[in-house]
Amino acid sequence: MSPAARRGTRLGRLVGPVGARRTPFVLLVVVLLGSGLISLLLLNSALNQGSFELSRLQRKTTELTDEQQALQQEVDQLAAPDALERRARELGMVPGGNPAFLSPDGTVRGQPSPAGDGTVAYRAPAPAGPGPRPALLPAPRPAAVRAPAAAPAPPPAGAPARPVPPPAPAPALVPAPQAVPTTPTSGR
Amino acid sequence: MPQNPGARPPRQPGPARRRVPEPARPPARPARLKAAADRPLRLGSPRPRLRMVGFGLTLVLLVFTVRLLQVQAFDASAYAARANVNRYIPVTLAAERGTVTDRSGVDLATTVDAYDITAAPDLLTPERIKTTGAARRAAALLAPVLGERPAVLEQKLTANPKSKYVVLARRQPPKVWNRIKELKKAAAARAQRKEGADVLAGVNREPHSKRVYPNGGLAAGILGFVNAEGRGGGGIEAQFDRVLAGQDGKLVYAQSGGRQVPTGDVKEQPAVPGSDIELTIDRDIQWAAQNAIARQVQESAADRGYVVVQDNRTGEILAMANAPGYDPNDLAHADSDALGNAALQDAYEPGSVSKVMTMAAVLEEGAATPATHVEVPNRLPRADRSFADDVDHPTWHLTLNGVLAKSSNIGTILAAEQLGKDQEQANQVLHSYLRKFGIGEPTGLGFPGETPGILAPPAKWQGSRQYTIPFGQGLSLNAVQAASVYSTIANGGERIRPTLVRGTKGPDGRFTPAPVPERTRVISDRTARELATMLESVVDDREGTGTKAKIPGYRVAGKTGTSNRVDPRTGRYHGYTASFAGFAPADQPRLTVYCAIQNPTKGSYFGGQICGPVYKQVMEFALKTLQVPPSGTQPPRLPVSYDDE
Repeated sequence: MSPAARRGTRLGRLVGPVGARRTPFVLLVVVLLGSGLISLLLLNSALNQGSFELSRLQRKTTELTDEQQALQQEVDQLAAPDALERRARELGMVPGGNPAFLSPDGTVRGQPSPAGDGTVAYRAPAPAGPGPRPALLPAPRPAAVRAPAAAPAPPPAGAPARPVPPPAPAPALVPAPQAVPTTPTSGR
Repeated sequence: MPQNPGARPPRQPGPARRRVPEPARPPARPARLKAAADRPLRLGSPRPRLRMVGFGLTLVLLVFTVRLLQVQAFDASAYAARANVNRYIPVTLAAERGTVTDRSGVDLATTVDAYDITAAPDLLTPERIKTTGAARRAAALLAPVLGERPAVLEQKLTANPKSKYVVLARRQPPKVWNRIKELKKAAAARAQRKEGADVLAGVNREPHSKRVYPNGGLAAGILGFVNAEGRGGGGIEAQFDRVLAGQDGKLVYAQSGGRQVPTGDVKEQPAVPGSDIELTIDRDIQWAAQNAIARQVQESAADRGYVVVQDNRTGEILAMANAPGYDPNDLAHADSDALGNAALQDAYEPGSVSKVMTMAAVLEEGAATPATHVEVPNRLPRADRSFADDVDHPTWHLTLNGVLAKSSNIGTILAAEQLGKDQEQANQVLHSYLRKFGIGEPTGLGFPGETPGILAPPAKWQGSRQYTIPFGQGLSLNAVQAASVYSTIANGGERIRPTLVRGTKGPDGRFTPAPVPERTRVISDRTARELATMLESVVDDREGTGTKAKIPGYRVAGKTGTSNRVDPRTGRYHGYTASFAGFAPADQPRLTVYCAIQNPTKGSYFGGQICGPVYKQVMEFALKTLQVPPSGTQPPRLPVSYDDE
């Protein structure tokens, strides 16, 4: 018994200080492992957050691109010459006839003539929607308003060139085509 | 814890436990001794056993080593490659196809995102979905969105019930997919509430790009179209496919469980977008030309027609219209005869329009002047037949100017005969002029399927052919070549090779202009001016054939043409080609317009009657668009005829 007890105390003495010395090391390892684990967790969640953000932004980019393309297509369709012609006819406009130019000094180059006098046979290829008849009605008003204001010079030049006795809406349409091709500055 | 003194007592049993085997040993020893005493031979030497075990272990380790070497050293690369197949996912980054624009930058062909809508028919079978009529309900839901009849969709969904993949609709805009997504959400919600099966579960999308032509059929012949693989299938799209297509990129990333490994290596080779191409076409003039020719072709019940508008000072083609045309957005319903660009791909006999080249040769060689008197009989016997004009007439006394104005075949033959001492030499001289005007050789546009036309060498101008070529039968050309002849005269006798492309704009936004077209002198400036005034008589003179092309206020030069047409199906003369070519203003030319209509069967078939008005409409529109004012000078009005005696 007594030798055993002595051995025990001897071992105890041996173990004691060793255990005390090991403690900081164990702590260090635990701390290292723990912090490693936590930083890995943080890193992973940061990465995941980044990828969520990335896919959200990518989705948004696609959505906006789609929207932009759809709007662009709409604009293109409305701006296509065919669509413009249809709209113009709905507003009661007709293609201008002979080109005529009004110079800054008031002289007229070319022979202005009333538009839509039948010699030029542009016609809309079966305009969709409202027929041309009702669409023509609002036309005389703006044209008549513009007549004295925008084109004071052409009427004397146009009148002797071709005296047209057309039905009611025609005279109101006369100045309109002149307003279109008349290009005061860049014409010459 | 070890410092804790309280921990010591539990340790003490340690040595005590260690002591336990000590009393157990003495009984074991006598037992063994007893056995050894019974059979002393049983205790064998451990050496063989150890050797056996050692040998076995060596064998096993050897096998391991060999296998290790095999896996790690000999087959290593193959295994690594097999692993990479699964680990690395290559993704093709599609290059965006360049746009095609007109001369002012308006998009004529562009690319947008689109989706193929797909479905999984095997999810709709009664066994899987545990209800009947699922395909019908799915078809009914999708039909209004896809703009398709429900029966057609149902047929697609039930044709092969085992299939996991069927395309319901191709190249749908994102809007359609958004609506399908909402439908899917609603169907899934209903299934959640146990109100019905989720019949849209298998509906999915596949991203695709789609080529769109915002102006529909405008300039379709020039632009061409893109085939299902996204490559150019005709026109500019085919000619400049490599420029437009760009270069696809590639992305390779490491994946795990279908997701990209964030720290894995990524190899990315970005896609190079295609270059944009800017054409010389003016969208508005192109529209006017297309409109005018389409109407006239329809009115005359003709096979087809073309209009070419060219800026004679630069050689740029402002419009090249064909009728009938097609809508490249809807190729499925396009007439296969209308695909292509007939203005460059049809070769036909030009007729009287090409008399101007004979006149150019006659004037340039000094064989005659516009005032030279030509006595034109009603019939002219040459070779094996007797030639006539388009109307019977008493003997006309025309000037050379009058021969052109009244488009007399006989007068033209007589004038062409003055080109040389004998007919053979005259043929050679005329041939050299025709070549210089660009007949019988490609226009230089490099357009796919373009025809160079047919011009036989003068040695083969035999029989009646040598007399018909001066007035435009027996040789063939395309519409752009014909327009180029008049542009050459308008440009003072200097021919500029026609161009259709102004330049390209690379992905870096830098504009590279197309090479400057070559210029060659064909006739002198003086001859060109004389020709221009002669061409004015055609339109301006009371007796001219082209009076319908008159534009009040402008001096217009032009020439009519009505030729016998070779029917492409039979190879025999049948029907007519009506044409008109001209430029304006005659004294300061800016624009050339050429119109031709093939085989008009209703109403007039004379070039002056049906192509003259088209010329006038297009020319008026183009003059207004480009803001070309009239020159304001008076035409010289050369005499057409002379008094006999």
